[in-house]
Amino acid sequence: MQLVELNFQTWLRWALWLVVGFAVVFPGIVAYMVWLERKVAARFQDRIGPNRVGPLGLLQPIADAIKLITKENIVPRSADRVVHLLAPILVLTSAFLVMAVVPFGVGLVPVDLPSGLVYLIAVSSMSPLGIFLAGWSSRNKYSLLGAMRAVAQLVSYEVPQILATIPVVLWAGSLSLVTIFDRQLEFGWYVFSPPGLLAFATFLIAGVAEVNRTPFDLPEAESEIIAGYHTEYTGMRFGLFFLAEYLSVFGISCVTTVLFLGGGTPIPFLEFPVDLLGGSTASLALVNLILLAVFLLKVLFFIFVMFWIRATLPRMRVDRLMNFAWKYLVPLSILNVFFAGIWYEMVIRPGGLTFANWLRGTLVTGVLVVAAVYLTFLLNRKLVESKPIDADWPSVAPATESAR
Amino acid sequence: MASILFLVIAAIGLATALGTVLSRNLVRAGLYLVAFFFAIACLFVLLEAEFLAAIQVLVYIGAVAILLMFGIMLTRDTLGDDTTAIPVGWMIPGLFGGLCVFTVLAVGINNSIAPSGWTPWSGTTSRPSIIKQESDPEPAWVAERREAVNDMGRVIGVELMTRYVVAFELAGLLLTAALVGAIALAHRADSAPKPPRSVEQAAGSGPGADPPSEAGEPVASSLSP
Amino acid sequence: MVAHNYVFIGLLLLFAVAFAAAPLLVVALVAPRKRSSTKDDVYECGVRTHGETWVRFRIQYYIYAIMFVVFDIETVFLYPWAVSYGGLGMFALVEMIVFLTMLGAGLAYAWAKGALRWA
Repeated sequence: MQLVELNFQTWLRWALWLVVGFAVVFPGIVAYMVWLERKVAARFQDRIGPNRVGPLGLLQPIADAIKLITKENIVPRSADRVVHLLAPILVLTSAFLVMAVVPFGVGLVPVDLPSGLVYLIAVSSMSPLGIFLAGWSSRNKYSLLGAMRAVAQLVSYEVPQILATIPVVLWAGSLSLVTIFDRQLEFGWYVFSPPGLLAFATFLIAGVAEVNRTPFDLPEAESEIIAGYHTEYTGMRFGLFFLAEYLSVFGISCVTTVLFLGGGTPIPFLEFPVDLLGGSTASLALVNLILLAVFLLKVLFFIFVMFWIRATLPRMRVDRLMNFAWKYLVPLSILNVFFAGIWYEMVIRPGGLTFANWLRGTLVTGVLVVAAVYLTFLLNRKLVESKPIDADWPSVAPATESAR
Repeated sequence: MASILFLVIAAIGLATALGTVLSRNLVRAGLYLVAFFFAIACLFVLLEAEFLAAIQVLVYIGAVAILLMFGIMLTRDTLGDDTTAIPVGWMIPGLFGGLCVFTVLAVGINNSIAPSGWTPWSGTTSRPSIIKQESDPEPAWVAERREAVNDMGRVIGVELMTRYVVAFELAGLLLTAALVGAIALAHRADSAPKPPRSVEQAAGSGPGADPPSEAGEPVASSLSP
Repeated sequence: MVAHNYVFIGLLLLFAVAFAAAPLLVVALVAPRKRSSTKDDVYECGVRTHGETWVRFRIQYYIYAIMFVVFDIETVFLYPWAVSYGGLGMFALVEMIVFLTMLGAGLAYAWAKGALRWA
């Protein structure tokens, strides 16, 4: 893996990525994600959603942006102004930096870092600090409370998220996202294997919790703690948090697609031919177009799933949330590392991917994964039965019954 | 170009370190420390150790800084203002002690002794390139070093599993011991819920003495009509 | 020389800060500015705040942070193992099983002690 030369071509490529990708395309995608969410949520609730501003309400994000900019910038008198300003910048920076390593196609990656996945996890772990600073600097009891709860939640779900990426790294043998994307051409998408499926589910759930989406959106629960850590943020400062959240949703969907669904490849187990029309630039452009289209389709699917979950599920209670992370997801993720090792020994180490290998690996690890999931739930239930105080579901008989 | 970059990053690091020590507000001092951790991560990148830079950000900024902030919240009031004052009589001896440490470090690092057969680090003037150049022949260790720099995670993993296995397992044991110790010290098994304090008690102990509970309800004492 | 790719990361960092600061600059120019003492107060459902802003800080938050630190460092060890696993044999799996068992024992201890009970 060579590190690049700093010549004119590299600077040009980077300038294009910055000016076109990060300044125009990603914020555009994020703005229209907001519109899409409102439309989708509206359809789920049997209404229409924004349809006044422009055809189908398509100019709604622009109207929202203009509204936010023209709002008065109110900061509480006793707030710490510097930190109050710094917090949304930190969260937004963390969201942007995540997108820098995602391979959208062959050669369509802003930078290909040799330790890309660790970089990604490191950068996305900066946002809890930003959220804590937002809550602290507002000098508001509710903000601080919301911020501490938010940080506790984010930090608890980061462990299963990181542990869920370990099987992927194990099978790909590299931390670079481009190599992970390449390896899935040889060994099929990582989701089509029992440990991979468990890791995918864990990563998705932990990812939804990491971006504070329903059902894990207790930090921003409007009905419970006013607005949590961004109570004292008005106008465009709130707009920055909003932008950062939706950018993170996009980022998590992109990363899930690359790690588990093989990026933009349309068919799971076949190698996508890069030289479809010969080795020319036109062929590469065509291939990249197809890969990019399929990639965006998959990302759109995950985003739609997140919107769907938001429209459907209620918010989780905070102790159930934390219990789910530490008592269900973390043990399952740790066991999943073993199962991933077993899958590796059975399927990847013998060499190429053959149907017999895959079937054998699936059967063995499938049984193990199902047993692990069942045992985890059973263990939790048994522990709660012996010590009812630990329950996060009603397990103690109500007082009226025992008084009778 | 690299030396200019290094000077800039080192200056930023120095400034943030000074900010940490001199700041009166603890949370701001913590923030300066976070900026210092980030400067260290940039220095790791300059030293071609990008895996370590990512680990530095992940562990220090992602975990230790948050732990630090929670610790400040736990032990001080949430404003983070430092309520301790440095006694004036300690400042001069403190400065003198700091200068002594600095002198020892500067002299020690600049006149470093190397293992026999190696040149001391201060004798090296350049690092071998990590981009393969076909022109001139290179000793084997340069190729090995290039591979290590370009794929640091794998090389560290191999070393951890083969040469440093005992250290690795001991690190795991140390982590578990730290976890058990922290839980044993910090967690008090209070199973019986405390009896709720009446409103009169809360009003009697003055403002600010009964902070809002978990549910976020403000004390209603002064709201009575 | 330096790892060139990170120059882009540095540029992106500066870009992200500028991208965040630009709308705020526009706001400073465009938005109305009608200060009033009520607007500058801290928000508490329309009630004036009384008492110091401090929350009964529960030790539970600190315990979750400590658990996160320990498991974060565990993942720091897991990543190099995962990357290098292909080139090593079964003994690497055994070593990692030992490591993870120790950490699993720590988690089980925390669970049994009730340290994981409630945020």
